[in-house]
Amino acid sequence: MGRYILKRLAQMIPIVIGVSVIVFLLLSLSPGDPAKMILGLNAKEQELQLMREQLGLNDPIPVQYFNYMKKVVVGDFGTSYSTKQSVIEMIGVRLPPTLILSFGSLFTILIVAIPLGIALAVKQNSPFDNIMRVVSLFFAAMPGFWSGILMIILFSVHLGWLPANGFDTPSAMIMPIICSSIAGWAVNSRITRASMLDVIRQDYIRTARAKGLKESIVIRKHALKNALLPTITSVGMAVGGCFGGSVIMEMLFGINGMGKMMIDALRQKDIPTIMAGVIITSVIIAVANLLTDLAYSFVDPRIRSMYARRRAQRKEVTGNGAN
Amino acid sequence: MAQIDVTLAPARRKKSKKRSLWADAWLRLRKNKSAVAGMIMLATILIVIYSSPLYLDYDNDVIKPDLTHTLQFPAEGKLLGTDELGRDVLARILWGGRISIGIGVLSMLLSSIIGCTLGAISGYYGGKTDGIIMRSLDVFMAIPSLLLMITLVSVMKPTITNLIIALAIGSVPSVSRMVRAQVLYIKGQEFVEAIRAQGASDFRIIVMHILPNAISPLISQFVMEIAGLILAISGLSFIGLGVQPPDPEWGAMLSSGREHIRDVWHVTAFPGIALVLTVVALTLVGDGLRDALDPRMKR
Amino acid sequence: MQKKLLEIKDLTIKFHTDDGVVEAVNKVNLTVHEGETLGIVGETGAGKTTTALGIMGLVDCPPGRIEGGSILLDDRDILRLNEEEYRKLRGKDISMIFQDPMTALNPVFTVVDQIAEVIANHQQLGEKEAEKKAIEMLELVRIPAERAYEYPHQFSGGMKQRVVIAIALACNPRLLIADEPTTALDVTIQAQVLELMKDLKTRSKTSMMLITHDLGVVSEICDQVAIMYAGEIVESGSLEDIFENPLHPYTNGLFGSIPDIDKEVEFLSPIEGLVPDPSDLPKGCKFHPRCKYAQHLCSIEEPVFQETSPGHYAKCFVYEGKLPVKEVKKYE
Repeated sequence: MGRYILKRLAQMIPIVIGVSVIVFLLLSLSPGDPAKMILGLNAKEQELQLMREQLGLNDPIPVQYFNYMKKVVVGDFGTSYSTKQSVIEMIGVRLPPTLILSFGSLFTILIVAIPLGIALAVKQNSPFDNIMRVVSLFFAAMPGFWSGILMIILFSVHLGWLPANGFDTPSAMIMPIICSSIAGWAVNSRITRASMLDVIRQDYIRTARAKGLKESIVIRKHALKNALLPTITSVGMAVGGCFGGSVIMEMLFGINGMGKMMIDALRQKDIPTIMAGVIITSVIIAVANLLTDLAYSFVDPRIRSMYARRRAQRKEVTGNGAN
Repeated sequence: MAQIDVTLAPARRKKSKKRSLWADAWLRLRKNKSAVAGMIMLATILIVIYSSPLYLDYDNDVIKPDLTHTLQFPAEGKLLGTDELGRDVLARILWGGRISIGIGVLSMLLSSIIGCTLGAISGYYGGKTDGIIMRSLDVFMAIPSLLLMITLVSVMKPTITNLIIALAIGSVPSVSRMVRAQVLYIKGQEFVEAIRAQGASDFRIIVMHILPNAISPLISQFVMEIAGLILAISGLSFIGLGVQPPDPEWGAMLSSGREHIRDVWHVTAFPGIALVLTVVALTLVGDGLRDALDPRMKR
Repeated sequence: MQKKLLEIKDLTIKFHTDDGVVEAVNKVNLTVHEGETLGIVGETGAGKTTTALGIMGLVDCPPGRIEGGSILLDDRDILRLNEEEYRKLRGKDISMIFQDPMTALNPVFTVVDQIAEVIANHQQLGEKEAEKKAIEMLELVRIPAERAYEYPHQFSGGMKQRVVIAIALACNPRLLIADEPTTALDVTIQAQVLELMKDLKTRSKTSMMLITHDLGVVSEICDQVAIMYAGEIVESGSLEDIFENPLHPYTNGLFGSIPDIDKEVEFLSPIEGLVPDPSDLPKGCKFHPRCKYAQHLCSIEEPVFQETSPGHYAKCFVYEGKLPVKEVKKYE
């Protein structure tokens, strides 16, 4: 299992590099002059030339890329063109809110969608189920920024209970996290419901009942573990969506996170910041994907065997313990 | 009196009419109540929105500001009130709908064409070609699609055409993957071998035999993707990177209305409702299509 | 005569579906005595599995409903029990094993876990002790203890069925219902599993109700036999009675359709016609459309299930003397 993890981590590297290449290329080829960004529009041509030389903008693009990446591997992400701060410092400040928002929303999705999905499956075709089908349909269609605005109108403007901006106190975190989760609740509760319905029809559930077990145990122990896989897949795929969607949430709620940083940086063609943001985001997402896969193997022993079998096969091929 | 009178129980056999796959699917779709509701909703929305040029004039109704009547609800002659520049909210919603839906559909078409091509080539030829294409797509998929779209839009000028291209590129990786999976499945079926044995060229096999079979389960996915793209374009416009003013767009309307939420709610409520209704309609139709076109579905 | 363990009287189970009412089980009468094995024979769709599920209380309600009759376990009508009391019986007093071993085990739990679970549920034992007993059960069904902690997908079909048997017998039930336990296995494994069941039967004196469509299996292991058709029992008696003196035309048809390796024939001789649709059963005797001896009476009235000789029951007008025919030709 450990070997599998290492293999996956190793596979991440070319992908992250690929991402950085593409983004770097896009940014280098797009219009806009970083020198002007830094020195301002009124700077003299001479100063601009000097700055361009300093930034290495006159080198061919591949050279620029290598120079950049050389610094990245030692942890130096450079200085922001617009804020003049060290990029690492900026990320240190802006990453935590984004992480809390994204993972907080994934967490709330899980704790709401899974029990709800189970309840809907058990009470299939009841009035509750039918109402929730319609409700889920609408909730899944509501974009986070709209539910955000509605919640702000209700809870901030009219009721004054929750702040409309910022992210520093728990009460400020409530609305952004909930709005990011609403669509996830709707979608994942449907997925869990469908998966549970599928599992409940299986023969081994009948065996469990024939053992005289309590129905609640049949559902919670026997059915649930088998039903979780599609939900894990869906939530795993939602990680990427959360990071993307957090951009919009941060703009709406005025949260000082990575998303807002990226938007500002894109507007000003602040290459170091953009690159850093993209690289770090893709690393986090790749790690999240790996964790999702590990969660699969944790839940389903057949997948666990598959990983172990690959290891065993490789051992056979490479001879005795080639490591 | 004893009579030898043996009557065989009539064997009831349901008459099976010969029906084509499409006619069959249409019948199933018609029976599905929520799909029918979705289709009616969608048809209504499309008719209302696309007939708007008949009674709306872009310059007068949609973009002309009227600073004497801002933020009114209700307002005279304006069913849904006026926005912060005095413009008719309803007119802007209808016009913006054409833009949003149009972009959604066009980018879906573009990404389908590219995605089908890549997926088909990758799935059919396999081997190194497959490896290269899939690895490259993996790189694109490593970036969240919204971030990818944002990046693309930022580096290009925000014209509608560029928006369509950016959105399409954002969708291509997942579409290619789906098409590839289908192609692999169909490729393994015997009739493909039979056709190849008849000497058909690769191109002919892919275009005339594999793709038509691959597409039908994907049609419902495509419809749902349109909904997703409409949400994406709203999101982009919300943060200012999508459709530019003075053109109306639902997300952009939400963004500009946001500054006035302390005073009025109608400027932000109605565009949102339009967005939700459109996505709901598309979702219902997409779901219905999936149930109708999937031959393995049991009732 | 041994004591009666299970007595089913006039059991009726119907399914109310959108396409009509399915009469799956119609006034079934069965008795199982202590220590004996009752075989229930019939074609697919005859209602055998539904009857078994009815005994276990596992019929899907809705759309199924038990609409009549009683099931007496030791003189206690278990159909009158509430769900909790019924649950206490399942796995402990009455156990059931199902047809398809490939899907009967939960893929995400180890084999020993699944056996220990039923033990722990019914007996107040700690985890470790339940596990120990579970491993003993595994050895009883000839699965080595080293494999106890493996998962179902790592076992073959025959071994999976043995695990299912271990689960069913873990709490020493008084009655074991086996629904076509060997149908899904190939013939050699079939023989192994049957042998195991015979062995366990002699050891633990468990009564068994074996559902099958295979007369060969019946002859191997059953003491009493009941023939089921269209949700009814049409004939029942001891193994000798049924095999040597089958009364009902259907029973004889079943025997007659078995090809005889000693005879040279050109055609097989199946029973004419098809099994009736349970949502549209024939009036009168349910077998009359396919019966060689049917008369007009058979299409309007139902015969009575009566004792023709000690312990041997049949449901046919021939034995009520109401038909011109006095005898049913054997094995045809």
